[in-house]
Amino acid sequence: MYEFVTGPLAWIAFSVFFFGLIWRFVWYIRGLNWQLDRVSYGHHTGYGVKGAARSIVSWLIPYGTHSWRFYSGFTLLVFVFHIGIIITPIFLLGHNLLLEERWGFRLPALPDPVADTLTVAMMIAALFIMLRRIALPEVRILTTFYDIALLLIVVTPFFTGFLAYHQIGDYSFWLIAHILSGEIMLIAVPLTKLSHALLFFLSRAQIGMDYGIKRGGMKSQGLPW
Amino acid sequence: MFKKILFATSASPVCDNAAKVAFDLELKWDARLIVFHVLGIPTHGFSPFVTDVRTGEREQVDPDYVDWVKEEMRNTYADLLKDTENVTLEAAVGVPHREILRKARDEDVDMIVMGAHTRPEDIGASRFRNVVGSTMQKVAKGARCPVVIISRPCTTCWKLFSNIVVGIDLSKASGAAFLWAARLAREVDANLHIFHAVDLAGTEVGQIKSQEEIEAHIATVRGKIENLYLPQLKGYEKVTVMVREGVPYVEILKQARERQADLIVMAHHTREIDPEQALLGSTVEQVVLRSACPVASVNRLDKTVDTSA
Amino acid sequence: MPEGILCNKTPVDTVEQLQALLADKSGKQYYEEMKLLDVDTPALWATIQKSLKSRLRTWLEICARCGMCADSCFFYLANDRDPTQVPSYKIQSTLGDMVRRKGKVDNAFMHYAMDTAWSRCTCCNRCGMYCPFGIDMGVMFSYLRGLLFSQGFVPWELKIGSGMHRIYRAQMDVTTDDWVETCGWMCEEYEEDWPGLEFPVDKPNADIIYTVNAREVKHYPEDLAEAAILFHLAGENWTVPSEGWEETSLAMFAGDWVGCKKQVESVYAAMERLKPKRMVVTECGHAYRATVIEGPYWAGLKTGQTPVESFHYVEWVAEALRTGKLKIDPAKRIKEPVTYQDSCNYIRNAGLRECAREIMSYIAEDFREMRPCGEHNFCCGGGGGLNGIGRYREQRNVGLKVKRDQILATGAKLVVSPCHNCWDAIRDLEEIYHIGIRWSFLKPLLLKMVIVPEHLRPEE
Repeated sequence: MYEFVTGPLAWIAFSVFFFGLIWRFVWYIRGLNWQLDRVSYGHHTGYGVKGAARSIVSWLIPYGTHSWRFYSGFTLLVFVFHIGIIITPIFLLGHNLLLEERWGFRLPALPDPVADTLTVAMMIAALFIMLRRIALPEVRILTTFYDIALLLIVVTPFFTGFLAYHQIGDYSFWLIAHILSGEIMLIAVPLTKLSHALLFFLSRAQIGMDYGIKRGGMKSQGLPW
Repeated sequence: MFKKILFATSASPVCDNAAKVAFDLELKWDARLIVFHVLGIPTHGFSPFVTDVRTGEREQVDPDYVDWVKEEMRNTYADLLKDTENVTLEAAVGVPHREILRKARDEDVDMIVMGAHTRPEDIGASRFRNVVGSTMQKVAKGARCPVVIISRPCTTCWKLFSNIVVGIDLSKASGAAFLWAARLAREVDANLHIFHAVDLAGTEVGQIKSQEEIEAHIATVRGKIENLYLPQLKGYEKVTVMVREGVPYVEILKQARERQADLIVMAHHTREIDPEQALLGSTVEQVVLRSACPVASVNRLDKTVDTSA
Repeated sequence: MPEGILCNKTPVDTVEQLQALLADKSGKQYYEEMKLLDVDTPALWATIQKSLKSRLRTWLEICARCGMCADSCFFYLANDRDPTQVPSYKIQSTLGDMVRRKGKVDNAFMHYAMDTAWSRCTCCNRCGMYCPFGIDMGVMFSYLRGLLFSQGFVPWELKIGSGMHRIYRAQMDVTTDDWVETCGWMCEEYEEDWPGLEFPVDKPNADIIYTVNAREVKHYPEDLAEAAILFHLAGENWTVPSEGWEETSLAMFAGDWVGCKKQVESVYAAMERLKPKRMVVTECGHAYRATVIEGPYWAGLKTGQTPVESFHYVEWVAEALRTGKLKIDPAKRIKEPVTYQDSCNYIRNAGLRECAREIMSYIAEDFREMRPCGEHNFCCGGGGGLNGIGRYREQRNVGLKVKRDQILATGAKLVVSPCHNCWDAIRDLEEIYHIGIRWSFLKPLLLKMVIVPEHLRPEE
């Protein structure tokens, strides 16, 4: 089982992940239409780039936009959650040892306590995000089973990985569960709206260009996001 | 002198006195009378809604509604319409003063007759006051023909007018008022009382004029009137000239009272058209509100000379 | 009955059709017929497949359902935080469902979609600023309106409005003759007070071509006169085109993209014909949005720019004050507290916030911002055509509460509102809620306080 999930399945998962995202990227760019979108992408490139950069950067900075500041509590959850998801797996010591063993290189690793803190914080954030979904009527009305399932898909690898690493319960079970759930997540990224991992940037760039080129970018300092 | 008259009415009792005069003119002068009511004030932006001028309610205008309003007008003026033959009833949607001016321009009328609001017992008058009050002001300012404003019952028929007071201030516009008044006086064989008020309120603050100065000024004005205005009468005899000092509208009203005037004629050429100050903003308004007889506002030469002859 | 006599999928292109619709009081018969109107689902799906590209598909798909758009929507706030007023919910339950069902929707669904698209969204685009993914639900509702229009599910007034544009190239039945005649009339009426005042029609190679809103021509020609006087005082070499003078676009509110194209092409043709240096648009928000911001795309101008550079009236006023073409008498500046209504269409969606501030700095002594303001300001409550739709009067009136409270919080009793729709919405909110405010366009305010150069004064 371990061989299968770390062998062929891992190849499949990573292929789907990378090729899926490449396909998403190509599909998105090809689908942009200056006349239907009413944004002249091909002209005024300077304004377009500036608008796109402003749009992406403002939203990547915690509390960098009016919206992030307005929903200050939720913003904290969102950033803790996303930082945990991205930083932890990439810079985890265990993952990097594996990387070195298989591919002969590694990235700098996070100290264990930091990785643990990020993981736990991310899971707590996920819990509150889930509770918020249920508690607030304006979010509850939007929530579907799909949203909850995706949240579970994302949290499971972290939960199982945490248990496996700290050898709580049956190590080999949690390890396989961890690898498997991680692969499910990777596959889910391009196929579900987890694709926002990429599309966030594309969509933000697009609306940034929209404001930068068409909706006032040429006549103002740029939209104060 | 009056071939075509536009009677602009709010189709409410506040215009009753004006209606009597308008219909009387139609009858006695054999003029064509257009009874015109602007029924709804439209919005600035996109909207099919208008504010009904009489009720203040929101309405959606369609041909049926306009017909219904015309029917209402027919009922309102049923008594007056009985003896007439040359009257048309018309209604339009728009801002009242603008549509009245548009109609007057399209039809090239010789005179506009309007009501004013002085009957306090009239329910709702205060609500229209702002709209209609400033309507009168704006029509008087914009119209190329004389505008006669009637706020109190006018007992004398126009044909029988015997005293006409014309207030002048030596401006171009009041020259037009004078010519028109003279023409009317000649036509109905009335006495023409030319009147000028030296505006004391208009002098600078703290600078009180001496009696001598005032009298010297009065003499100059009198001289000007005699040199510039009287020759234009071409021998019409029934004329008096009076110059006084004081607040113009008060002095004109006093003069009208003394002379038992049937009509006051004056120019309205104030440039202040701020609606907030419109109602009480000018001499014309003050005179209209307080005058016992009709007031004609004449600003332009267009209808002052007889072009048919 | 698949198609009604009045309510059908055919846009209004003839005067007869227009008259028939107008004669139907409040669209009574029209809406009755709509209840029986069939949905052409294959056509609907074909249109969606052709026009729903990656941007909109992505928006619909990746919406995280986080609810961060909720508080950005004035309808949500005005309706006591009704969850069904959350922008995401509104678009997902309409356009989202329509796409998920591959266009197979019924009459009841289309009614729901129409009511949502026109009475629960004014396309103010504020939600798009609050979404982490930049999902602009105003843009999507505008797209949805287009789909609904193509299927005949459009409010009665907007069917008429788009027909007016198709027939008269104006939102009202104002013909070229009416327009030119009105220009002459206004010149005549005001030339005594303003010696040398001109109203040049079709003057080639002018510095400025001025374009307007048909309602000014039809009902409020003083507005034209005021514009002429201000140009006159500023010494501008300006003109108006005899054709292609109408800037507004009810067709845009209706989602009638063909009508939109016809309308803006008439304006662009005037630019080509008269070769002015630039265009100035009257104090109207959606007109500027339609003709200057969106119009080039409807007309297929690849640069996204109008044939000559175009300016909103506030840009011209700011420039005239800055360069001293118009000078304000310091004694006549507005002394009382005054606030400014930022129109979504030229502030948020065209970046003219600073022009408005600059103008206020010249004319007002106690200028108070609404909170929020500028690009983040709330819609007046009447945008997107909502002011004009009888069917949705109630919803509109509820929505006005947000603007009412914003104005009250400033303590100002005077609201400067250089946008026809905002002007109306603010007037209506005063009539409904009686908060004791006044409101004004810029032109009459400027005329009261501008210094008239010696040589332009009338001789006394």
